[in-house]
Amino acid sequence: MTLSRRDFLKLATLLSASAALNACAPAVRRLTDDFPSVPWRPLSAADFTALNRITFGARVDERARLAEIGLANYIEEQLDFETINDLTLDLQLSTFNTLTMAANEIEAVTNQLFDGYDRERPINELRQATFLRQLYSKRQLYEVMVDFWSDHFNIFIEKEPIFYLKTVDDRDVIRKHALGNFRDLVWASAHSPAMLTYLDNQANVKGTPNENYARELMELHTLGVDGGYSQNDVMQLARCLTGWSVKEHFWLGDFVFKEDQHEPGEKNVLGLAIQESGQSEAEQVIEHLVLHPSTAKFICTKLSRRFIADEPPQEIVEKAAQTFLATKGDIKSVLRVILFDGLVFSQPKYKRPLNFVLSALRMLKVETDGVALQDHLSRMGQLAFNLPTPDGYPDRSDAWQGNLMPRWQFAFELIRNELPKTKHNLTALLDISSTGSLHTDVDSLTSLLLGTPLDRLTRDGMIDTVHSAGATEEETLQIIAASLIASPAFQWR
Amino acid sequence: MLETLPVLHQIPTKTWMPRLSFAPKNTAPRGDTLVVVFLRGAADMLNMVVPHGEDAYYALRPTLGIARPDDLRSKKEERTVDLDGFFGFHPNMSSLLEAWQSKQLAIIHACGAPDESRSHFKAMELMERGVDDERGPASGWIGRHLATLNTGNSSPLRAVGMGTRPQRSLSGSVPVSALRSIADFHLGGDQRALQQMRTALSYVYQNDEMGQDTLSIMDTLQKLDPTNYQSTNSQYPDSEFGLALKQTAMLIKSEVGLEVSAIDLGGWDTHFTQGSMTGLMPNLMKDLAEGLAAFHADMADHMNKLTTVTMSEFGRRAYENGSLGTDHGHGSMMMVLGGNVDGGKVHGQWPGLEEGQLIGPGDLAVTTDYRDVLSEILTKRLNNPATSDVFPEYQPVMRNIIKS
Repeated sequence: MTLSRRDFLKLATLLSASAALNACAPAVRRLTDDFPSVPWRPLSAADFTALNRITFGARVDERARLAEIGLANYIEEQLDFETINDLTLDLQLSTFNTLTMAANEIEAVTNQLFDGYDRERPINELRQATFLRQLYSKRQLYEVMVDFWSDHFNIFIEKEPIFYLKTVDDRDVIRKHALGNFRDLVWASAHSPAMLTYLDNQANVKGTPNENYARELMELHTLGVDGGYSQNDVMQLARCLTGWSVKEHFWLGDFVFKEDQHEPGEKNVLGLAIQESGQSEAEQVIEHLVLHPSTAKFICTKLSRRFIADEPPQEIVEKAAQTFLATKGDIKSVLRVILFDGLVFSQPKYKRPLNFVLSALRMLKVETDGVALQDHLSRMGQLAFNLPTPDGYPDRSDAWQGNLMPRWQFAFELIRNELPKTKHNLTALLDISSTGSLHTDVDSLTSLLLGTPLDRLTRDGMIDTVHSAGATEEETLQIIAASLIASPAFQWR
Repeated sequence: MLETLPVLHQIPTKTWMPRLSFAPKNTAPRGDTLVVVFLRGAADMLNMVVPHGEDAYYALRPTLGIARPDDLRSKKEERTVDLDGFFGFHPNMSSLLEAWQSKQLAIIHACGAPDESRSHFKAMELMERGVDDERGPASGWIGRHLATLNTGNSSPLRAVGMGTRPQRSLSGSVPVSALRSIADFHLGGDQRALQQMRTALSYVYQNDEMGQDTLSIMDTLQKLDPTNYQSTNSQYPDSEFGLALKQTAMLIKSEVGLEVSAIDLGGWDTHFTQGSMTGLMPNLMKDLAEGLAAFHADMADHMNKLTTVTMSEFGRRAYENGSLGTDHGHGSMMMVLGGNVDGGKVHGQWPGLEEGQLIGPGDLAVTTDYRDVLSEILTKRLNNPATSDVFPEYQPVMRNIIKS
């Protein structure tokens, strides 16, 4: 079902008029015919893994779509994200006003001079919107890439005054270029007030350079730590970047190049002689950095690590890096290599907390406003935009193992519907695919969460164990659902 | 290609966890409990333990420098607190004076690693792995310490990383758990359902060491009552760091088998307005010093079986930058706190801050490798002589930081 523009406006008004957004979300989903309720069939391990790399957790409708058109078409469909209708989500996000504001408008929302100011509002809206997008957007690969670049260009939102700048960075840097061109992404990030503030470049002025941003631009954003730059290159790039700053009065929070703070004279970065030319000096270096072979290798290694394995096959990385250079940083082309050629080499990856929480919610079709989950993500160690250091939350499996307790707690509370404004309807969900006996319910549930049912022995053993702990039939299903989410198998994707 | 069907209690394909396959080389009774505090972000040690006897220090830091102990132009409370006539504490470090005076605190200045990348992430990784470069083992130095030493202790709480992610230095140890708060380390809710959940969890985790460890930690901690913990003669700062130290104290006192506790204190990357008397870095120093002092007082009765060490990935540039901060440098500083430390002393050779003495873009040189300090603690206090496994391809030099 598609909605006319009039319906859209009607719904949008309805939503913005409603304080209890969450209460409306299910209604919107019914109106917009979201979440088709089709029975699910077991998936091959390869397909299930692929789907769990491309999405934040294979939802029923995504399984059906993959089965219908095949993996290659599915990837192409996801890459062509702009053609995927995301109306329901757009409606749900339409009440988050700060998402579309300019920095100075967001600052006003938080400024004590104005009535009803609220310092936390931009942060909360951005976190909540980010989570809802990851959870409900049908443009899953796009959201997965937004998450990837948010780590790659990590910014800590609690550093002053980034709380009103990060929303703009998220929108105009990360989301704008997530599936675009890497050169544009770095370019936008370098001109982003949130990034410049985060890495102290507003303090990088002539005579007294501050190396922080210059170093991370090479070490973390482009070349990589072993990409072949020296301490002298860091200092020279810092000199090029003197005067790259943020407006403090009119158009507060916008990028500005302050000529009077720029260090005069020639510079030399990575053997590149840079004539004195103001703002253009660092821009010349950026053009050089983004297409450097070290950058291609570094970015493709990180992408392969995210999608394929902690130690991705070198030949895939090499091939992706060649494509990166040949297409001058076209992200979609690089992803095609990694997904089409690389996914078959997938090794298990331990779910990062975000992935763990989202996959449980997505697979069980949970309705939530996303608020209650933030505290759980925090306890697991991955609250969005909350990492102080610029390297982004780690991707490797071993970084996250050893903190099972908050995951178990989350699984338990989720299944018992104890999380505020967060509800699943397990019984109704299983009715779609099961014949109603406890055994088929468990098969159906396992297939949903792990791709295929368990072998009979394990399944029956599990049911017996929970039964013998004194659980009724209904309790048994709940406890099994919670312990499936808490299980070792579900921690991996 | 992934082909395996889901086996509930195993990860989908081959077990890949980097657990150490070799059996412990040494058997020895348990030595000290080791607390490792990592100051993440490269702490500015020159403003923490100030070389006030160096004229060059004041020339390099006209704004940020901490005044000499006898500098009458500064208020008394803003001057360096003299330690030995040449070095002195930043005033916000003075809660550690008592430990210094009772000779239970040693300082090793100009300490660090050979790596000169000046990259936080590379330096931290190499230091936590205890290696010179990428080629060394992927596990962490604490992990290898535990794996090479059989103390007859099979507690799931043998090593704990305080926080939401276990530290890299712990990796390779069996078992290792992250623990942010003892109070949170239990399942809350309806008792009947919890009991069922506990049963189901032990079923799905029957073949998984980490899950079994977590379950037994859960059971062990259930007996503790963190809300009613009374520290002895001390008040921990109300911070994550204070909490981590307090939890460590509780675990030691309740004798649950803790051998190593790894604690992080982050936020030291002070490129911009780090503050000399107030602000970012002074606040961090206060948290650090008050936390360690509270821990030291609380654990006074355990000092003969406890060693605490602080470290950071590298130091900061000797001269201040134009934004009242400092950029990435090289030489750092370590502190060792405990009943068997040769304390009240600044150890190590001071390389000086004059031109020609600084290295690279103007950084303090390293005269003591951090592995010398750690190796000495491991051999003399933790009964582990296998330093060549813990720090491969490194020949440690004993610096006599521990009393013999």
